[in-house]
Amino acid sequence: MRKINSKDIDYIAMGSTVLGTGGGGDPYIGKLLAKAAINKYGDVSLIQAEELKDDALVVPIAAFGAPLILVEKLFSGDEFIKAFEMMESYLGRKIDAVMPAEAGGLNGVIPFSIAAQKQIPLVDADGMGRAFPRLEMVTFTLHDIPVSPITQADEKGNKNVYDTISNEWGELLVGATAIQMGGSCAIGCYPMSGAQVKKAAVHGIVSYAQMLGEAILNAKAQNRNPLDALIENAAAIKLFTGKVSNVTIKIDGRWNKGVCEIMGLDDNQGCNMQLDFQNEFLMAKIDGKPVAMTPDLIVLIDAENARPITAETIQYGARVVVLAMKSDDQWRTPEGIELAGPKKFGYTEKYVPIEELNKKE
Amino acid sequence: MYYKIGVDVGGTNTDAVLVSHDNNILAKTKQTTTLDVSSGIENAIKQVLLDSNVPKEDIKYIMLGTTHCTNALVERKELNKIGAIRIGLPASSAIPTMTDFPEDLKLILGRHLYMVHGGYEFDGRLISPLEEDEVKACLLKMKGDIESLAITGIFSKTIPDQELQVAVWAKEVLGDAVRTSCSHQLGGLGLLERENAAILNAALQGVALKMVRAFKDTVQRLGFSSQLFIGQNDGTLMSLDQAQDFPVLTISSGPTNSIRGAGALSKVANGIVIDVGGTTSDGGVLVNFFPRESTQAAQIGGVLTNFRMPDVVAVGIGGGTIIRFKDKTCQLGPDSVGYRLKEKAVAFKGDTLTISDFFLANNQLEINGSIEKTAITEKIEQISGLHFSEALALVKYQIQLSIEKLVDKLKTDSKEIPVIACGGGAFLLPKKIEGASNVIFPEHLEVANAFGACIAQISSEDELIVNTLQCDEKQELERLLTNVGSELLKNGASEDSISILVKESIPLAYLPGAVKLKVKLCGDLID
Repeated sequence: MRKINSKDIDYIAMGSTVLGTGGGGDPYIGKLLAKAAINKYGDVSLIQAEELKDDALVVPIAAFGAPLILVEKLFSGDEFIKAFEMMESYLGRKIDAVMPAEAGGLNGVIPFSIAAQKQIPLVDADGMGRAFPRLEMVTFTLHDIPVSPITQADEKGNKNVYDTISNEWGELLVGATAIQMGGSCAIGCYPMSGAQVKKAAVHGIVSYAQMLGEAILNAKAQNRNPLDALIENAAAIKLFTGKVSNVTIKIDGRWNKGVCEIMGLDDNQGCNMQLDFQNEFLMAKIDGKPVAMTPDLIVLIDAENARPITAETIQYGARVVVLAMKSDDQWRTPEGIELAGPKKFGYTEKYVPIEELNKKE
Repeated sequence: MYYKIGVDVGGTNTDAVLVSHDNNILAKTKQTTTLDVSSGIENAIKQVLLDSNVPKEDIKYIMLGTTHCTNALVERKELNKIGAIRIGLPASSAIPTMTDFPEDLKLILGRHLYMVHGGYEFDGRLISPLEEDEVKACLLKMKGDIESLAITGIFSKTIPDQELQVAVWAKEVLGDAVRTSCSHQLGGLGLLERENAAILNAALQGVALKMVRAFKDTVQRLGFSSQLFIGQNDGTLMSLDQAQDFPVLTISSGPTNSIRGAGALSKVANGIVIDVGGTTSDGGVLVNFFPRESTQAAQIGGVLTNFRMPDVVAVGIGGGTIIRFKDKTCQLGPDSVGYRLKEKAVAFKGDTLTISDFFLANNQLEINGSIEKTAITEKIEQISGLHFSEALALVKYQIQLSIEKLVDKLKTDSKEIPVIACGGGAFLLPKKIEGASNVIFPEHLEVANAFGACIAQISSEDELIVNTLQCDEKQELERLLTNVGSELLKNGASEDSISILVKESIPLAYLPGAVKLKVKLCGDLID
């Protein structure tokens, strides 16, 4: 167990942006929320999954909605507490610890505000080790842990509890209601025992995010190259250096799919990268040949200041570096690849790990 | 045939240029910025008029660029007493107004912050209704204690009527003297950034009023009937009324004008511009005659906003930079004597060694009132304990290193590109820079700023979110285009010169039907 203070949140939020792989919502809002709660209620205890009792009740709490709505209609803060308390009353027992459902993006930091206010620990684990666009895309699903009961609350005071027949149905129903609630809400989901967390979660991810954030921000403070610091600490592969030459977004059913084209500079002069995203970056190709694909992490970094760029803020002309990082081993199993691999997002390419795609001949 | 005058009011100097309609410089001047601002402007305008022999009546446009608002904010001076109302409860209460402001600014501006019920969902439904009693109770608490008011509502970009209603009530309760800043007129989506912009704008309205009055009165007193404009962040112009209402939009016009001005003076479309002043050298990148904008949200005076600003990197090297010698090495700055060069510098019988002293002694610079070159040389040798040529070589070497580092930081790739020098301190830049194909010292480089103000176009932009399940997206985009276009014509653009800078519709993630529309147009002033 260790204490997380307001300064640590800055690092974790920066690391969460890296793990957001272009999606997950901008952690800035989550950071302010978490810092306000820590300043008011005190530091948060971060515990490792092994420290949990097997019969402890752990609940991931998350913000759910459209990234652009979340920065305009800010949270009241109450919706998270309501989702939390609804879960307690539905299950008829106290929650022992919270955890992030996804460590990437906004949801990597949001649960700190609830942990601070409720004075309970936060588990150093999540269900993705990154960000994904759908509620069922978590390692918990790979262990047959049901998403339900799901509790949902908005800032106006509307509340809902779902008992769904599958984790996919959880995504569909919560998503439909979230739109009626104004495009954003808070949810509690995947209530789990301590034993289940130990088995099914991606461990140490909060500390990992903090480590990445420290690498970037400390390098900056000490006038070292933050990009090099990130690559070294994340054991990342530098896929491409270039300039954004085109961005297009199109609607495909319920999703916004987009393509970002990058014109090569420096070592990549004369080549072009195509970066596909559906909120998160899913597939990176150089001159038509895949160099990284989901579930591995593809991170777009602003070459100016080593800040990760979220997909909705990509701008024409930006100088960028594209990195790839290995996903958690759970995602690299046949079940993991089926749940969140290229086929799930409509690609015909078979999943190949980044270390093989980028093997030096 | 008509003429234009461009004026740039900086912290130290007020510059002016008089140009023909096709942008040839006929006269230029550098005057001292005065405390009242207006006599400096007056001196500068009179001088260029005199030097050029152009009759007053033929001056069709006068453009003003100023860093006045920027300085007020950075120095926390002359800021209005403000109040702020956010409309949107119960949403947004977890992150109150000014949460992420620097503490000192919060102390100055944060005395009257209120959140009230109201606000809209993205699709136009109410979050909660606006309540007159609640709003008026807040207004009464501020009465007599504020000079301007910032009003910000959730999704006011889509439906501004609640912000406008609060502005009407504010007039009722607080009187006409209190100006209001409505967020929907200032920024894009993103409540905090837009609210911050509204607050900064409200805080700057006093300074802006003073500036606009000084400009207008001076020009009227001198008997001009010219149309007046003020330069804004993106290198385009706005009317004085707009500048008075939206001073925050002028905040980075300084670097924008100098980058555009340097590009136009040298007739180089792409390169790096280094503007050397008394305290810093500011480097920016010129892309097709416009400054490259930073991809990150801009911090103004430590406050996050969503304005896009020119991407400028500064190093602490300017004409007034203080030089210290120790053990046969020298250190440049980062402090500077700034505008007090003529009191403090060795060349003016002061005791501080500055970069200017070295260039004066070496015959590379002339300033009225400086002492004999040999006397400067003697003093330099006395302070440094080195032979003059050795000391000079050390100083030039340090400048070379810093400038090369600056150029390297700004470059996107290893290709060599031209560096264009401008600003009053351009004399100190080396003639050869590693990483630059060549270093250009264009004619009139010392007034690039004022020239940049002169050549600006005017622009207009707007954005909003529509629900395409309820309306036709194409129609809405065309309507937005028409609205922005007529706004631009109203501001003085010639109809056949209007071009589209931005016309985009971006669907919002997770929200079927919701689309963000954005339009930005620009055009030339009517001939």
